[in-house]
Amino acid sequence: MTVSRLAFDGVTKSFGPLQVLKGVSFDVAPGEVHGLLGENGAGKSTLLKILSGVFKPTDGRVLIDGRPIDAHGPVSARRAGIAMIHQELQQVPRLTVAQNMFLGRPLTRFGVIVDHREQESLAAQALKVIDPHIDPAAPIGSLKVAQRQIVEIARALLEDAKIIAMDEPTSSLTPSEFDRLAEIILDLSGRGVSVVYVSHKMEEIFRICTRSSVMRDGSLVGLVKMSETDQKTVVQMMVGRELSQQVHTSFATEQVVLEARNVSSDKVRDVSLTLHRGEVLGVAGLVGAGRTELLRLLAGADERSTGEVFIDGESVALRSPREAIASGIGLVPEERKREGIVPLRSVQNNIVLASMSRFAPRGIINGGRLKSISAVTLKETGLRPFAPEREIRRFSGGNQQKAIISRWLAAETRIFLFDEPTRGIDVGAKAEIYALIEKLAKEGKSVIVVSSELPEIIRLSDRVLVMREGRLAAELIGDEITEHAIAASAIPQSTVNDAAEEAAIVTNTSL
Amino acid sequence: MSQATSKPETGLFQATISRFSVRDAGTLIGLIVIMAVFAILVPGFLSERNLLNILQQSSINACLALGMTLVIISGGIDLSVGPTAALSAVLTATLLVIGIPAPVAIAVGLAMGAACGLFNGFMVAIVGLQPFIVTLGTLSTFRALALIYTGGNPVLGIPDDFRAIFNGSIFGVPTPVVIVGLVAFVAWAVLKKTPFGEYLLAVGGNEEAAHIAGVPIARTKIAAYAISGTLAALAAMILIGRLGAAEPILGNLWELDAIAAAAIGGASLMGGKGSVVGTILGAIILGAMRNGLTLMNVQSFYQLLATGLIILAAMLIDRATRGRE
Repeated sequence: MTVSRLAFDGVTKSFGPLQVLKGVSFDVAPGEVHGLLGENGAGKSTLLKILSGVFKPTDGRVLIDGRPIDAHGPVSARRAGIAMIHQELQQVPRLTVAQNMFLGRPLTRFGVIVDHREQESLAAQALKVIDPHIDPAAPIGSLKVAQRQIVEIARALLEDAKIIAMDEPTSSLTPSEFDRLAEIILDLSGRGVSVVYVSHKMEEIFRICTRSSVMRDGSLVGLVKMSETDQKTVVQMMVGRELSQQVHTSFATEQVVLEARNVSSDKVRDVSLTLHRGEVLGVAGLVGAGRTELLRLLAGADERSTGEVFIDGESVALRSPREAIASGIGLVPEERKREGIVPLRSVQNNIVLASMSRFAPRGIINGGRLKSISAVTLKETGLRPFAPEREIRRFSGGNQQKAIISRWLAAETRIFLFDEPTRGIDVGAKAEIYALIEKLAKEGKSVIVVSSELPEIIRLSDRVLVMREGRLAAELIGDEITEHAIAASAIPQSTVNDAAEEAAIVTNTSL
Repeated sequence: MSQATSKPETGLFQATISRFSVRDAGTLIGLIVIMAVFAILVPGFLSERNLLNILQQSSINACLALGMTLVIISGGIDLSVGPTAALSAVLTATLLVIGIPAPVAIAVGLAMGAACGLFNGFMVAIVGLQPFIVTLGTLSTFRALALIYTGGNPVLGIPDDFRAIFNGSIFGVPTPVVIVGLVAFVAWAVLKKTPFGEYLLAVGGNEEAAHIAGVPIARTKIAAYAISGTLAALAAMILIGRLGAAEPILGNLWELDAIAAAAIGGASLMGGKGSVVGTILGAIILGAMRNGLTLMNVQSFYQLLATGLIILAAMLIDRATRGRE
C-alpha cells in the first residue's frame, strides 16, 4: 500500500467533559471497502460527522491522500471528495431525481436560470453507471428507499467523490435490495472509490468489506481483515465485557393482562397476542414490518380497523392514547424528539401530562404533589443530573427516556410499550434502561419491547414474536430465541415477489 | 447531552425561575426605558392621571392579547378577534336598544364571542385546517355578518346604565382596567396552575408527544379559541360602553395589535411558549408609546413607525439574549 486514500490520525472529540472519541487512528486504501463497526454509542456517528465536516475534532487530523483537511465544514469536506450517504436520506421528496442530485449547486444558464435539461442529462449519465432504470425527471418521493439511496450514490459520483461514507444504508432495505447495493459498492470499489461502510449487521460486513475497524466506547479496539476473522470474534470485540452480563431472568406469570384478537390497522394485519403479568414480550422484524404500528394500535394512537383488545379480560375500545392510558397502557415511542418530549418544558412538567387527575385533584395543579410524585418516579428511573425542574431538552437521550418512563410510572401504568427503547442512547444508559425494563417486569408490570437490535431482544425477552409484512410470522420461547431463528422468520420468504415488485417499479419510472 | 453533564447543579434554581420570568423582566425593563424616555420628553407623562389613561387605553388591546396569547401558546393564531368583537358589539347593542337588561345583553354578547371562537376551534382542531387560514376566513365572514346584520349602519343609543358599567371607576381606577386586571389574573392562574394551562403548553410545544402522553388535543385547542373569542367580545363591551354606539366596522386591525403585544411579551408563534405577565406588559408598552407620541403631537404615521420598530426591536433582543434554540 502506498499512500492511503483516507487516514484518521489520533482523532479525539470531546463534548465538555465527555470524551466520545479517544484517539482513533486507522486508514483506508484507494478502492477499499472498509467496515466501521460498533454498538450504538461507540462513536461511529461522531467519527462520520468529523469525516463529513459537521464536527471539528478536538484533537488529531483527518488526511485525504496524505494531506490533512485543514478547513473543516461540510463544504470543504465535499470539496475534498468526501460524500456521505445518511441513514435518513436527505432529499426533498417533491423535487425530481435530477433536482435532488443538484440540490444546493444547481446548473444554471446565465447564472440565474436553472438548466433542467442539462441537469437531467448529467444525472442520467451518472445514474446509467449504476442503475439505468431510474428516471432523472421523476419526483424522488415516488422512488423506493433503495432507489433513493442509489440516487445519493450517483450524486456522490457526480461530485467526483473519492470517499463515500454510508451510515447503516441497509436499515430499510430488503435482502434482494441489499444484494443490488452490494454489487454497486463493489463496482465503486473497482473504480477506485473508497467506501466507509457503517453497519452492525455482520453478514453485510463480511460480504462486502475487505477490512473493518471495530469501535467501542469511543476507542478503536481492533482493525481486522475480514478474511482472517469470523463473526463471533468481531461481535466479541464490539461488545467487550458486556457479553457475559447478558443473563436473562424471567418474572412472567400465567395471568393474562392484555389480549389482542385479530387486530388490524393500516400496517398491521390480523395480529393476535397475549401478554402476561411480569412478562417481557419482544417483537422483532424488519423495519416496516408493522412493529411500531402494532404498538401504536395498542396505545390508542392508531385507529384499529378490525379485531378486539382485552385488558384483564374486559374489552377496551382504545380510541385515543388517553383511553389507553386510562386502561393502564403507556407508550415509550421510538422518536423521542417528535413523539416523546415537550422540549421547552421541565422534566416534571413532562411527567405530569399523562396523569393530571393525580396532580390536580381539584382542578388546580398541586405544586407539592407535582414535585414529590415526579421526584419519586425520577429517583426510580435514575435521572441524571437529578434536576426535575430543568428543561427536558437539556438532558441526554438516555435521561429523556428515563423521564418518559417516569411519566408512565407516575400514571401507574401497568402495560409498558417500548419502541426501540435504546435508539440513540449511549452504552452506559442502555444498560440502565435494560435494568429498568427488568425491574418493571419484576414488579409485576407487563412489557412489550420492539427492537431492531437482536441482541437487545434476546437479552430482554421472555418470549419473542416475529413480525413480517404486518403479520405475526413466528413465536419463539426460551431456547428457541436465537438471532438465527428471528432472522429466518423476519425475512420475507418470497424473493420472487420482490423481483416482481422491482420490475413493476422499473416500468413505472420509465414511463 | 454535553450541556446536561457540563452544567453544575447550582444552576438549578436559575433554570427554574429563568426562561419565562427572566423574559418577563426583560419586557419590564423595556417598558421602564420607554416610560423614562417619555417622562423626559413629555411634561406630565408620569402624572397619576396620565398613567391611568395609559392603562385604560391599553385595556382593550390587553384583553384581546390575553386570549391571543393562549391561542398562540397552543400553536395557533386568531386573526378574527376584531370582527368577532364587532359581531358581539352590534348584537349586544341591538339587544340593549330594544330594552333587554344590560346583564342579559352582555351575556348574549359574550356567548356570541364564545361561539365565534368555538367555530374557529372546531375548524382547526376537529376538521384540521390551518389556524391562519381558518381565522383569515372567519375574519371576513364575521365582519360580513356584522355588516349584513346592521345594514352597515352603527347601532346608536346604547342606554346609560350599560355605559355606566364601563365608564365608572373603582377606587379611582377605571372599570375597564379593573376588569382586564381580573381577567389577566385568571389567565395567569389558568396558565400556571391548571391542567388546561399545562395542556396548552404541551400541545403547542409538541403536539404529537402531547397526544401520546394522553393530552386531549382537540378539547384544549377549542378551549383556547373559545376563550379568545369571549375576550374579544369583552373588549367589544368595553369599547361600546365608552363610545355609546356599536359600529359594525369596529375592531379593524385589532388582531395585529394583540399579536404584537403577545410577541413583545415573549410568546412564540411556533407555539409552546408565552407569558400572561409579558403580554400585559407588551400591551402597556404599546399603549404608553402611543400615549406619549400623541402627547408630543407626533403625526400618526410616526406612531405606526414606532410600533413597527418596537416589535422588531423586541424580537431582535429576544434572539440576541436567548441565542439559538
